[in-house]
Amino acid sequence: MIEVNNLVKHFGNKHAVDGISFKVEEGEIVGFLGPNGAGKSTTMNMITGYISATSGSAKINGIDILEDPIAAKRHIGYLPEQPPLYMDMTVNEYLDFKCDLNKVKDKRKKHIDEICELTGLTGVYKRMIKNLSKGYKQRVGLAQALIGNPEVLILDEPTVGLDPIQIIEIRNLIKDLGKKRTVILSSHILSEVQAICERMIVINSGKIVADDTPENLQYEIDIDRKLALRIAGSPDKVEAVLKRIPDMQTVQFMGEKEAGACDFIVEPRGRIDIRKPLFNALAQAGCPILLMSPVSATLEEIFIKLTSAKVGGRKE
Amino acid sequence: MFAIFKRELRSFYTTPIGFVFSGIVILLMNVGFYVMNVSVNESDVKPLFNLLLIGLAFIVPILTMRLLSEDKKLKTDQLLLTAPITVTDVVMGKFLAALAVFVISLVGTFLIPLVLAIYSVSEPWAIVGNYFAIISAASCFIAIGLFISSLTESQLVASILSWAVLIGMLFIDMVVATSEILIFKVIIGWVSVFSRFSNFTYGLFDLSSIVYYLSVTLIFIFLTVRMVDKRRYA
Repeated sequence: MIEVNNLVKHFGNKHAVDGISFKVEEGEIVGFLGPNGAGKSTTMNMITGYISATSGSAKINGIDILEDPIAAKRHIGYLPEQPPLYMDMTVNEYLDFKCDLNKVKDKRKKHIDEICELTGLTGVYKRMIKNLSKGYKQRVGLAQALIGNPEVLILDEPTVGLDPIQIIEIRNLIKDLGKKRTVILSSHILSEVQAICERMIVINSGKIVADDTPENLQYEIDIDRKLALRIAGSPDKVEAVLKRIPDMQTVQFMGEKEAGACDFIVEPRGRIDIRKPLFNALAQAGCPILLMSPVSATLEEIFIKLTSAKVGGRKE
Repeated sequence: MFAIFKRELRSFYTTPIGFVFSGIVILLMNVGFYVMNVSVNESDVKPLFNLLLIGLAFIVPILTMRLLSEDKKLKTDQLLLTAPITVTDVVMGKFLAALAVFVISLVGTFLIPLVLAIYSVSEPWAIVGNYFAIISAASCFIAIGLFISSLTESQLVASILSWAVLIGMLFIDMVVATSEILIFKVIIGWVSVFSRFSNFTYGLFDLSSIVYYLSVTLIFIFLTVRMVDKRRYA
């Protein structure tokens, strides 16, 4: 269990983290979402006791990280943004060293073997860490966090540097680990957090902007109403047809990327689904739709959306 | 603490650093012993240990430069400082590992007491005193080097600074030894690592010197711990 209370961190004049509070229960996987520099890593560094907080407190299983750091740290497995690896050690030596640090005594060999199995390191067990690829280094970092079976896992961008297959493997692993543990992971990829986490905490410039399940946040971040279209026909004709459709807000010409067809991005008014009227209108005009896809929102747009919703006085 | 000690000691001997350091110590001592003692039929090893002391000012930075600076640079300090151990454990582990490398190197000079025991009539306590003195002095140097290593992220800066400090101390001693001003002589004589050294080499277990070496070592270890901590509270 993690309990964070009004955590603040100032670096000189910069308020890197500005009063963050949340609670994560056992068996919960929480995603920390935010753009680069939002304060994700700083928050994690404070929870794990790497840096101190300017004010506020962080408790791990009820133990304050600043009051009894050794007891609190015993419950934490931490994968920082940059995996803290000793390049001059083999994977096996490194994990053994981590066992020494965490005072793992019983069945150490078996414990390390199990973790290597889980993280897919068995094949590189005897290799020097400096000779491993970025993906494998990331996995060694994750393996290190699992040593000693900590109840709390804090993972800072755990899938960075992995290839798509590895990403899926690691995501499944984290989901599995999260069944019995408390997991916080950070990411700046929305779909990743949606795929793994039951709860999302969105932070921006050191403040929590939203804290809810991905489903509940979907409404707020759902700006997939913009459609990208490729339509056969001349631009002028198509544009005229598009503009006549009721509830159409904007029609933006994006050039001709295919011979005899033109690309548009259209946005309806409000939350109205215009796909059917769009299809009918273009079919009547004799301009077949070759391609229609939603324009996915970027993280920046989501933040603008979430923060402006706050400013607009939406009730929590 | 033992985990850190073990890792650092292993790291010294998986990289060339440990071998280079031990090699220099062993070479310097054995060649020096031959030239200054064996070939001239001299049983007094004081000059030999003085030579090693000067040598240490040059080679201890090789040992200490990366101890804390590299952890900062490679972010492995995140591993150490979020592990369930104290900062003192980290610093002491690293200090003892460096000291252990020196003690291991001294094992390579075993011929010196052996030859002296067989062929000379010299006081055995003087030999023990010399070894004790050189280990005490080395622990001071290592503590100073370790502290300097905690100030920077760069091994190069750490090594150059350590050289400057240790060799600077050597120079001050030399200047003061020839100085006419008494007050300087007294003050520097008191704080100097080098002038304390000679008391030991006579085989005298001078309590104030033991206290002095221990204090300097502990003060710099304490400062190092504070320095590592301070960065986290910045």
